[in-house]
Amino acid sequence: MKSYINNYELHCNAGNTAELMKAIYAKKSAIVEDETFLADATAGLGIMEYDNIYSLMKEVVSKVLKSSNLDNFQNTLLVLGSSVGGMQECEEIFYAQKSYKAINPNKLSMNALTDFLVKEFSFYDSRAISTACTSSANALLLAKRLIDVEAYDNILVVGADGLCRSTVMGFHALSVLSAKKCRPFDVKRDGMNVAEAVAVLLVQNTKTDNSIELKGVGASSDAYHMTNPNPEALGAISSMKDALSDAGISCLDIDYVNAHGTATLANDKVEALAVEKLFGNSVYVSSTKAITGHTLGAAGALEAIVSCEAIKLGFIPPQTGLETQENENIKVNKESVKMDIKNIVSNSFAFGGNNTSIVLGACT
Amino acid sequence: MKTVALNIISSAKIYAPQKIENLEEKRLAPNMMMRRRLTRNSKVMLYLSDKCGFNGGKIVYGSCFSELEETAKIANAVLEGSMLSPTSFQNSVYNTAPSYFSLINKDTDEIITISSGMKTSLDTIKTAALQALVSGEKVLCVAIECINIKNIEEINKCTKFLEAGVAVVLQVAKDESHAKTIESLHVEGIIDSLQDLMSVANMHENGIDKIKVEL
Repeated sequence: MKSYINNYELHCNAGNTAELMKAIYAKKSAIVEDETFLADATAGLGIMEYDNIYSLMKEVVSKVLKSSNLDNFQNTLLVLGSSVGGMQECEEIFYAQKSYKAINPNKLSMNALTDFLVKEFSFYDSRAISTACTSSANALLLAKRLIDVEAYDNILVVGADGLCRSTVMGFHALSVLSAKKCRPFDVKRDGMNVAEAVAVLLVQNTKTDNSIELKGVGASSDAYHMTNPNPEALGAISSMKDALSDAGISCLDIDYVNAHGTATLANDKVEALAVEKLFGNSVYVSSTKAITGHTLGAAGALEAIVSCEAIKLGFIPPQTGLETQENENIKVNKESVKMDIKNIVSNSFAFGGNNTSIVLGACT
Repeated sequence: MKTVALNIISSAKIYAPQKIENLEEKRLAPNMMMRRRLTRNSKVMLYLSDKCGFNGGKIVYGSCFSELEETAKIANAVLEGSMLSPTSFQNSVYNTAPSYFSLINKDTDEIITISSGMKTSLDTIKTAALQALVSGEKVLCVAIECINIKNIEEINKCTKFLEAGVAVVLQVAKDESHAKTIESLHVEGIIDSLQDLMSVANMHENGIDKIKVEL
């Protein structure tokens, strides 16, 4: 059974899907240089305008439902990917009260977000996945496999993460946070931008006029280090190869790699090597995190939407912030490229050496 | 709904009111530097996988609260304005325990981490069933909660065992004959997020080696 992404919407620092794509093609980063999160340093962050993560999820999910061929989600499985879940609200309670007493444990856990959506929309069932920055990419992986085996007809994949003080300070403690707008694949890049987003995709087993096919998924573990990727890029290559194999296509069928591209020294060096070893310079490569920042558990879903839009619009997203490319053996495009895009690989990598790649393609 | 019949290859469980003793860390994680970084969930994971005879392959790991101790360390450091430990931050993600397993056992296969509140272990079983069905391979299905942190009594109203874990190795069965649906064989006092997998382990201990799971 084939899987089709039939409807989607997102909200991030650059706005909704249409506004984000406009920013991507205009190379207009929505990262801000913030001085409120860290006591002693500036942080480049991707900050959204919203009341809270719950109401924002409801708004974005409602838009997807309205644009879909469904009347409701009663026969739909919800698969949500998040790295912080309800932490944003709970940590603020803890900082204010200086005790755990006022914290509802059910609001702390990852499924605080799924519980809310199940109550609001009456889903058939739900799952919450938390594999750090691959969370919503793995939600898409599970969605495809569940449709492959004919377990469900409709699966709503949600990637959602709000900014938390603990995550911003944590990445700062790891010395991987840039004070400025990040510059993926640039020789002078100096780190990532933490960001937040809600991204929602409806995956179904039926094709519509507007479908993008979720053709393949692949995953691997580096088994190398908790935060640094395997320097030979074995894990990243393995997840991409598995996704291509699942899609039944070869490297030559890929037009563009929507890279994980966080702009940390380690990630971009290794991911570029992985692309070089697998594709040479036959594919365009860019990271849209230069516009959105790294939306952590939401990144896989958000970048899947960016990839769907790129196929529909017929333009390869350009690499914002790039002046001097570090690895010149891959084709990082500084400007948009107009082309009939057939297939895209979108990568997500996470702490623990958790790697997930998905292949999205135009329907034939 | 699609159901899958699974053979239970092996199972193990462990729990303690406060702290589980003798997790055989020195044998299971001989490298001292690595061992010092292991979280409680990671140590329980290494112990349970060893008891199940699993040293590599696909893993589906479940935990409602996961690395609560590391999360608490970070929150307290933020509150006190002290330096955050990079190790605590990297160890705070929900896939920490299976990731340490992969590092120690050089396991490059897929890891999925489920955190579905009080139905975490049920969703972990369902996801393991899917992974077993798709791959045709043995899958480690493990769920762990270690919530023995300072001042936990301020919020813990539901469990008397602050550390608990359970694991089973599952493989797709050739047919559904004699496959049992999951019975309710709960262990009293264990947090609800582990009870469905506890039931499967208890079924296995009672001689049942084939279950039927709805995806």
